[in-house]
Formats: sequence, structure tokens, C-alpha cells
Amino acid sequence: MATLVKQEIFKLTKKKSTWICTAFLIIIQIAMAIAVKTYPRFMDPSEAFSSMFLGGALVVFFMIAASATIITMEFQYGTIKELLYRRYFRGQIWTSKWITMFLYSIYWFVLTFIISLLLKMTLFNSQIDFSQMLSGNNTVLGLSIKTLLANFLTLWLILSLVFLLANIFKNSAAAVSVGIIGYFATSIISSILMMLIQKWEWVKWNPFTMLYLPGQVQASQMSNLTKLSINQMITGNFVYIIIFFVLGYWIFKKRSV
Amino acid sequence: MTDILSVRGINKNFGSKQVLHDVSFKVKEGRIAGLVGPNGAGKTTIMKIILGLINFQSGKIEIDGQPVSTTSHQVLSEVGALIEYPGIYPFLSGWDHLKLFSAQGNSNEKIKKIVDELKMGSYIHQKARGYSLGMKQKLGIALAFVNNPKLVILDEPMNGLDPQATKDLRDLILNEARSGKTFLISSHILSELQKLADDLIVIDHGTIVQETTMDKLLSQGASYIRLTTSDDQQAKNLLANAGFKLMDDAKVKVIVDGENIMPRILKVMSDNSLDVQDVEHNKGNLENSLLDILAHDEEKEK
Repeated sequence: MATLVKQEIFKLTKKKSTWICTAFLIIIQIAMAIAVKTYPRFMDPSEAFSSMFLGGALVVFFMIAASATIITMEFQYGTIKELLYRRYFRGQIWTSKWITMFLYSIYWFVLTFIISLLLKMTLFNSQIDFSQMLSGNNTVLGLSIKTLLANFLTLWLILSLVFLLANIFKNSAAAVSVGIIGYFATSIISSILMMLIQKWEWVKWNPFTMLYLPGQVQASQMSNLTKLSINQMITGNFVYIIIFFVLGYWIFKKRSV
Repeated sequence: MTDILSVRGINKNFGSKQVLHDVSFKVKEGRIAGLVGPNGAGKTTIMKIILGLINFQSGKIEIDGQPVSTTSHQVLSEVGALIEYPGIYPFLSGWDHLKLFSAQGNSNEKIKKIVDELKMGSYIHQKARGYSLGMKQKLGIALAFVNNPKLVILDEPMNGLDPQATKDLRDLILNEARSGKTFLISSHILSELQKLADDLIVIDHGTIVQETTMDKLLSQGASYIRLTTSDDQQAKNLLANAGFKLMDDAKVKVIVDGENIMPRILKVMSDNSLDVQDVEHNKGNLENSLLDILAHDEEKEK
């Protein structure tokens, strides 16, 4: 399995897009930081930091694209045959791709976080006070980290769906679109969803509600609308990720190539 | 010699269409087996099943005595293959591909050796995005060989290769076979297969029509001499009496089974004052023999 993950990482490092995206992310973060510094009314520096100077949103798009293509490129290039006719079990191939993307997502989160920290120290050292207490007994730094982790978990819920769809459609475009729509769905359908939850409480268990985790971490009163506790949401995210993983594996196992 | 590959009673449907009917054959260790048949006969499907790439309804595949299925096939570490077209990542160089798919402990020298044998040295470090069809095909073949497999499965390996590359590949296959590797090769280029294969598996409409050796098949489509004479019926009688073997045909066709047959035939003719108007020498070849077999198969179905 370690060999398979190494091979996937080798491919990833050889792709130009990996390095272009990395450069793009850093440039956007720096540009955003300079914009906030120059026009402070544009955005509150603490707020800019907790959104990782736009890095958080970019990472979501990069990861959705990467997770879709790590599956679909094998079908597109015909390399799926080379991949599968070796001694490995199909489950190992499937899992190695997940592990690779997991490591890749950690790469992005750590990178954005470090860049944001560096930007804070160089540009906003006096304007952002990490130890400042916010409502709900959180410091600025504590809340930022919690939000980051919540974002990470919900991102993985979306990615697990992207993996599944990429595998079903063998087509990046379809999987990426669904992933990005899924990401924005939380804001698009929120009023309808919340209304439905008020009417039939069991609706709260659908996967979309789980995507409100970062919002609820930042504003705990959201639980009035979602009717779920933070812990229930964390568990819900894990359960759906596992369901999508197993479903994807089951389809991958039966696939003829 | 032991069987390295055993295919037993494979049935395969795509939806309601049955594409393989009770397919069984064996390949002995160290032999080059050719899998031949018309387009759509099921050659690629059989190869994919052997490699655990597609499911099948019933039957059994064994490589080196170990079963192969889509979900479990550890023994495929002993197998190298190229199926349909080579799978190539455009963002990797040829060398990267060989490194990527080579087993642990596979040295650079070994990879270099296969690169040299296929004469890929001039472009192996360039990105595969810019490779021509033939370059990609060679890389696909190199990938099939890179882990020094016991069994190599090649689907139409000569596709897109120029005459020199075809010869290089043929030499490589023959060399490797001499050192004990086993091959299962499908090809439309029958003249090429004739130079390579020891054994032949003929498939048509998803059924094995014949499993034979190349020598036997070639002798079936034996070499003969066709004569046009002033009196064909008399010529036939005279030749038969003189001990020549004739083909069961309205025309005068003498089977070539020894040296100096032509002067002996002409002597019989001139001794009996028969004029020979035309002579045609028909050499046995794989194409004719194969077309015969397939034609018979068609007739049986009608």
C-alpha cells in the first residue's frame, strides 16, 4: 500500500498543475493581505485571517478538482488497465488514491495556514490579536483553528462524494461540477433546507446539513436551525464519508475496464 | 513442460449478448502462443479476463497454478501486458513511466536495458505528451517487459510500428522466449505472427475454432503445384499412377512433398505427350490456412 501511495504522489508531483496551483494560492493570499492592509474598511483583518486570506476557498476548489482527476485521468489516459492488472487488490488501489488525496489536503491546509501566519506576522502583527477573546469563550486563534478543522471535515464530505461520482461518470467535468455545486449548496438551499427541518425534524440527518458544521462552530446559535449539536454533526460527517467511500469501492470493484 | 496459463470454460456476456462461449485453452511455459481471429472474435476480451480487468459469468483462469479474478490476482506480479492501446500519462516522461511501474528493487540498469533493446534512448526523457503513435506503442511494450515477467500478454503489439521497430520487437520477443518467457500474442498481421508463434489458438465468434501448432497449421494449407494441361483428366490419372499426391480438386493440384518435384512432373507429362500450358506454385502460408479454417467455421454455422 505504501508503494501505491508513493506512486500516486510521484504522479502528483510531476503534474504541472500541482505547482501552478501552489504558486497561485500564495500569490492570491499575499494580494488579499495587501488589499486588506491598504483598504482596512474592505475587510476586518481578523476576519481575513480566519478565512486564510481567501486560501480556504481556493483549497476547496483545488481539492475538488484533484480528487476528481485522480480517478478520471486513469480512465481518460487508459492507464487504469496498467493500474489494475498488477498484483494489488482493487481495494488497495481505491484506498491508495484516498490516502494520497488526504495527504494532499493536509498539504494545502498546512500551506495556507503557514502563509496566513506569516502574513499576519509581517503585515498585521498589531492589528490581529490572537489572544483576543471572542464570544463563546474562544480566542481569535482558537476559533480560527476550530473553523479550519471543521472546514477540513466538511471538505472531505464533499470530496468523498466527488470521488464516488468521478468513479461513476469517469468524467471530471461532471464530478467537479457536482462538487462545487455541493460546496455552494449550503448557502443556496439553506432557507429551504432549514424550513424543511423545522417541519420534519428527521430531514436534519441529510448530508447537506452536515456541511453547516463550520458555520455552527463560528456561531453556535445555528443549532436552533440545524437541530443538531456540534458532536452530532461531526459524527454525521464521518458516517457519510464512510458511506460514500464504501459505495465508491463497491462500484470500483465491479468495474470492467 | 507445464502449463503457465490455463483458461477453462470461460463464458462471458455483455448484457444479453454472449461474447465468449466456453472458451478453453492452455499455454505451455516457454512457448509463444498466437491468438488469432477476425475483428470482434473476442481476442481482447479473453486477454482482459486473463488479466482480471473484467468479470465473467463462469469458468476459471489460472496462471502458474494460481487463480485470477477481478478482485484477487496476486499472481499477476508475474505477468506483463499491453492491451488495446498503451495507457500513458502525458505529463510523465517515458523514463518516469518505467520507474513508476517497475517493481521495487528494479535497478536503473535493467530499465536502461529494455530502453536500449527497443531503441527508445533518444526520447525516453521527454514528456510523453509529444510522443508519436509508434513511440507510445514502444513505451507500452517496454512497460510490459519492465518487471521481467514470466508471462507476457500482448494485444496487437505491432500496431503503429514501422518495419524497423517491428523487427526490433520480433527480435526482442524471440530472445526473451529463448530465455524462458512465455507469450500470448494477438495480431492481425499474420505474416508477422507466422515468424513468431509456436502455437496458435484460432477464435471466431467467441468460440475456440482450433488449437494447434504453427507447423501443423501450415502443413494443412500445404504447398502445391497447379498445372493446366491439354488434358487435365488424363494428367491426373498419369500423375496418380506415377505416385504423386493429388489434391481432391477439379483442377490438377500436386502436393509438394519432396525435392525436384517439378522436373519429375514435367517428365511424366512429356513422356505421355501432354502439353503443359501453365504452372502455378502455391506456397502454404498462415493466411490461407487461417482463412480456410474460418471459412469452414462459417459453413458449419450455416
